[in-house]
Amino acid sequence: MDLLSNLLTGFTVALTWQNILFCGLGVLFGQLVGVLPGIGAPTAIALLLPLTFTMSPTTAIIMLAGIYYGVAYGGTITSVLINVPGESSTVMTTLDGHQMALQGRAGPALSVAALGSFIAGTLSVVVLMSFAPILARFALRFGPAEYFGLTAMAFGLLTVLGGGDPVKIIIATLTGLFFATIGIDVVSGVPRFAFGVPELLGGIDPIVIITGMFGIAEVFNSIEEEVRTDILKARFRFRDVFLTWQDWVQSRWGILRGAMIGFVVGMLPAGGITTASFLAYLMEKRVSKTPERFGRGAIEGVAAPESANNAASISGFAPLLALGLPGSPTTAILLAGFMMWGIRPGPMLFQNNPDLVWGLFASMYMGNVMLVLMNIFLIPAFVTVLRLPYTILMGLIVVFSTVGAFSANNNLFDIWMMLGLGVLGYLMKKFHYPVVPLILALVLGKLAENSLRQALTLSGGSMWIFFKRPISAVFISLAILAYLFPLVQWAIKSKRRRGLAEG
Amino acid sequence: MGIANLLAGIGVLLFGSVVTYSASQLPYRGEYGPGPGFLPLWIGIVLIGCAIVTIIKAVRQYGQEKEGFVQSKTRWVGFVFVTLIVTFLLVPVLGLSLGLALFTGFTMRAAGRHSWVLCIVMAVVTAAAVRVIFGVMLDIPLPKGVVGL
Repeated sequence: MDLLSNLLTGFTVALTWQNILFCGLGVLFGQLVGVLPGIGAPTAIALLLPLTFTMSPTTAIIMLAGIYYGVAYGGTITSVLINVPGESSTVMTTLDGHQMALQGRAGPALSVAALGSFIAGTLSVVVLMSFAPILARFALRFGPAEYFGLTAMAFGLLTVLGGGDPVKIIIATLTGLFFATIGIDVVSGVPRFAFGVPELLGGIDPIVIITGMFGIAEVFNSIEEEVRTDILKARFRFRDVFLTWQDWVQSRWGILRGAMIGFVVGMLPAGGITTASFLAYLMEKRVSKTPERFGRGAIEGVAAPESANNAASISGFAPLLALGLPGSPTTAILLAGFMMWGIRPGPMLFQNNPDLVWGLFASMYMGNVMLVLMNIFLIPAFVTVLRLPYTILMGLIVVFSTVGAFSANNNLFDIWMMLGLGVLGYLMKKFHYPVVPLILALVLGKLAENSLRQALTLSGGSMWIFFKRPISAVFISLAILAYLFPLVQWAIKSKRRRGLAEG
Repeated sequence: MGIANLLAGIGVLLFGSVVTYSASQLPYRGEYGPGPGFLPLWIGIVLIGCAIVTIIKAVRQYGQEKEGFVQSKTRWVGFVFVTLIVTFLLVPVLGLSLGLALFTGFTMRAAGRHSWVLCIVMAVVTAAAVRVIFGVMLDIPLPKGVVGL
């Protein structure tokens, strides 16, 4: 009954005209961002944060969350029509979605993606509502040792699951942690790494780092990358969009399996919506009686990954809201937004801000309904957006980034800082250093450092405190295993290579 | 990526050294527990370690480069970067909305080869939108510059 009364409270909050309007604007903007190959969900949220300064935190979070799960819908359109995923989470959709489009079935491909996303998204919200409060109650037992263990585990899992060179991931994580230490130390009052610059005494605002490393860096990187926009001449008559009974029969189990995989993977730190869609596609191919159809226009090859990415985008809110732990760059930026409004996500959020939490959950039902309607009726309009030249889009990104960075503290120094960080973000991508660990470490840095110092103060400097408490011991052990994993992998590879050379 | 990784490794080594040196100037221990220099010092030390690993790997990879650092469109990145520097230098004179409007119009013309009319229209729309949305509706005190826009 608690759940129902909470949900009722949520709908009372969500169903005000402001929240309905901004939820609609959020999902619409998310769809547009998903359609445009040159701009991602983290960038979109980073760019729009300043627009939410004057809103109430609940309305702002509802809108930003709408962008986040709206992106997963929008990226599908480019995957199907031009074989270019608008988002990394829709890469798997290109395999069968574009093949369907080439066979004249772009309409059903886009419809099954929308329908699958709607079903998976709605199921995901139902499970999230039941699961997140349980996770939050569990997290009430956390002390400084557990919080440090949790952040260490998140950084460790990112090293293993993030893909790419583990050393580069560690360097990016440490850089983010370093950025978080800049400014006056809250415990001792000692200024750190300000190098005589008064503007640095308050630290670098996360908004400045995010607008630089996502907004400006994305402009630089997109200029260098070729973006194809030769759109397939698809037919978008209203009746072509609907699924046949056979389409539904072929895709229904894929939608449910995708929803389950997406929900579980989306909750893991560094799991993310891309991994969820990848795993759902592989699972669907494995369980299929006709795997040879995959890659040639199998409708379940579109349904499963699309359902998974939407379910994952929603389940990613569980660790963010209940533990204050973002699992992806987008939720990391949302966390920065929460902090900007003076709200600290974590177990107490459910007790201190029930309106925000349950209003957000309720808005996700509304958002999913809006998205499925937009996907069916507005696809031709989104296709038109695809033709927008990048030189115009670039101007928009620069405007939003610059004003966003300036408005963080209303000073011009932050604009220069943003430009410098934009260059850093550009170089990091060129040298294959991931930006995500940096952002995650940046937003979790203060929590990690304060928890570490508090725990060590309580223990009189003994590291044993992290292993004495069972929950913290599990987190720290997982973190250590995660950091050791690349070393073990390297040792096995070296042994194999030596074996091959000798034999 | 051999040379690129080597350069990046040297960059990280320098960065790690600066962090370590600066952190060593801060108190390592506080009155009751770890001081403000505790975590930064370890960040710097591990960064130096990672930089050394990166440099060793880069030296081993030397000669196996698959892609060049400078690509055909890299000069456009430089162009936009320099244009942004000029724009930001002009903000105290022109104001933020006019500066960003000129950036939009100029890059559209120079990089996108759009018509003069479209570039001017977009520049005017940008200036008006920035001033109205951010300056008036969101009440952000945007720098107006000498021109007063």
